[in-house]
Amino acid sequence: MTAASAPAVSRPAGRRPGLAAARLLRLELRHNAMLWMLPVVIVLFWLTTYRKAMAMPPLWNMRTASMQTGALIAFICPVVGAATWMGSRESRRRTVDLVAIAARPRWARQLATWAATTGWALLGYLGCVAVLYGVTAQQATWGGPLWWPVAVVAASLAAMSAAGFAAGTLFPSRFTAPLAAIAAFFVLALSTQPIHGSHSYWQISPIVTGPWDAGNRADVATFYPFLPDLAIAQVMFLTGLAVAVLGALALPAGPGGRWLRRPAAAIATAGLLAAGTAVALAGTGRMDAHGMIAIPALHDAASDRPLRYTPVCARTAIPVCLNPAYASYLPATAAGLRPVLNEIAGLPGAPARISQAAPIYTQGPGSSIGVGLAGPALSGVPPVYHLLLSGQLDGPALTTHELAAAMRADAGPSIVASVMHDSGGASPAQHAVLAALMMTAGLPPQGLSPGIMPIGNSASGTLPRGCQASGARCPTVRSSRAARAISELAPGAIPGSPAYAAARRFAALPASARHAWLVSHLAALQAGRITLAQLP
Amino acid sequence: MNVEITGLTRRFGRTTAVAGVDLQAGPGVFGLLGPNGAGKTSLLRMMATAVAPTSGRLRLLGHDPSSYGPRREIRRRLGYLPQSLGYYPGFTVAESVEYFALLKEMPPARIPGAVAAAIDRVELGGKAKAKLRTLSGGMLRRVGVAQAIVNEPELLLLDEPTAGLDPQQRVVFRALLRDLGQRATVVVSTHLVEDVGAACAQVALMDQGKIVFHGTPEELAARGEGYATGDAPLERGYSAVLTAARS
Repeated sequence: MTAASAPAVSRPAGRRPGLAAARLLRLELRHNAMLWMLPVVIVLFWLTTYRKAMAMPPLWNMRTASMQTGALIAFICPVVGAATWMGSRESRRRTVDLVAIAARPRWARQLATWAATTGWALLGYLGCVAVLYGVTAQQATWGGPLWWPVAVVAASLAAMSAAGFAAGTLFPSRFTAPLAAIAAFFVLALSTQPIHGSHSYWQISPIVTGPWDAGNRADVATFYPFLPDLAIAQVMFLTGLAVAVLGALALPAGPGGRWLRRPAAAIATAGLLAAGTAVALAGTGRMDAHGMIAIPALHDAASDRPLRYTPVCARTAIPVCLNPAYASYLPATAAGLRPVLNEIAGLPGAPARISQAAPIYTQGPGSSIGVGLAGPALSGVPPVYHLLLSGQLDGPALTTHELAAAMRADAGPSIVASVMHDSGGASPAQHAVLAALMMTAGLPPQGLSPGIMPIGNSASGTLPRGCQASGARCPTVRSSRAARAISELAPGAIPGSPAYAAARRFAALPASARHAWLVSHLAALQAGRITLAQLP
Repeated sequence: MNVEITGLTRRFGRTTAVAGVDLQAGPGVFGLLGPNGAGKTSLLRMMATAVAPTSGRLRLLGHDPSSYGPRREIRRRLGYLPQSLGYYPGFTVAESVEYFALLKEMPPARIPGAVAAAIDRVELGGKAKAKLRTLSGGMLRRVGVAQAIVNEPELLLLDEPTAGLDPQQRVVFRALLRDLGQRATVVVSTHLVEDVGAACAQVALMDQGKIVFHGTPEELAARGEGYATGDAPLERGYSAVLTAARS
């Protein structure tokens, strides 16, 4: 046969690339290492993510953020390990010559193996998310699932799988898989270390769910819509990374001809550009006033409008109203505040309602974050006392009883002080009355028991600046604030002082007599015209 | 001619594995004999398009495999059994053969029937659903042959195909070779001269990267007349040619 008479290069009739690719994928799915890793990742997810999320309040935002971080930690080693193992399969199994002479391009074969690995990883992950979200849907009292964080983890799994697969292809050894898995874990864990403040390029790390070091804030995305800006950038970065790595696999001479290398190079370049753009976008992020990362180029101004909701209220002497997402905490909150509210109900200037407020976040130096109220704690006509509840719900640390005690210990004195208009520089009589009311409300004048963290409303209505929002990162503040509760609000009524004695005397009065005296004398007391001796 | 080779050379570093080989082969079974290190496997790997020649001209099935498009077309019509056969232990026999049928870009509709036929031809029909990890070395070799013939190749390259087969299976295999050789060019590299005598119409003997004999088995046997080394005429011819080439 001569060259002139050689048959033209053609595709035989009946060749259907889609069906053949599907059959190849089916074979790869049936014999993929990730399938055997699924029980491992499910157990890891249950141990590291599900149990932790279930210990949190049934708030979508908290559980979703916890899920994003936890799922990545649980999945990264098994997924990278399995992908690397599959990438090195042909060399380990000495089938290189057999598959090298196959007509189907090596890239198509590799994509099928990668797709099968990633498919199993995604199936396992989405199954875990379905269970977590299903249980949360039954427990949550308000709101709905957040899908962008789910997409971030899904894109992470695809990117990790691609990176692992490429590592296995380039370094085909049986030791590559465990080494790659360990390396990936450390890369993920260390990727947050360079973050300082909310304007770091490293926020692109998929493990970052919001302002780094802010912790898992209950109030984020509760009063205002969830900002997907950072999640969009992360998905863009991870997808670009996966596309770049997979495109690069086709660049060597072996996987295909020139016709394949050109589009592969274009794909890899496009992936790199997308990933680079996403990193640049992440660097422009800033923490907004609602505790989320806003990226100007991706930001939708509609997300800055507060969410509408009908608060849930308790029938206390002064109604206590919370965001419906916190409905399960209403009984404990009301129980904690009831003794205080009973004392001040009906007094001139007493709040008509205790209403949970959205906190305002401010970025401090480094990674420190300030959390507080937008305005004064007591405002409006009729006056409404604005309550911050978020701090108490930052994790599984507080039981219902502890929550009630913490509310009484922190918000209680602040509410009483707001009625007294006490600013720390008031008269001894004001201090004495304030201390007396705190005693009758069950608050020991010498301070609170150690270990209970009163966060929410201090006299100023804000947390100290410079203290990171996560309570666990600020242990000195946790203990010192407990001891300062009385001394800050009623510094003149420390035990042993004349004001303290007057406070004990006033507290010993019957509640009706105390209340009647306050109704008739509160204006004079607030004006500083009542002396200690004039207290009954 | 399905195989046209002119001055084909392959070097690995300073070692010349194949040194200026000229060869032509049409339909039929072609035997490639030679001692260890003669260059048989390197020549077969170049014919299988697994490695590119360092120099020389190679045309397979009327195409030049140096460019991607024709090479891909050759590979669709090629079957290859390497000397060192790797496999995926978790695959069943049928899955393994189907996998390579898919890689050879066979039309999907034809694959199930072709897989079953290939497995039957190597007499593994009863083991189609057995995992490869449960098979003996001889059975694995037959799975390797099945994957090589599943696409009914026009050029079939077999490197030591009878290694590990029992005598009965070797007899069956030789019959299969003769059958395949009626439609395709089958190149068999082997140490076993009796395989060549039983199945091959043409034979080439390689030594030190060169072809030192090309003819029929009968012509090779005739070269050994009066030569003492060897139990059978072909073995004596083999030894005589090698001795003459090295002297």
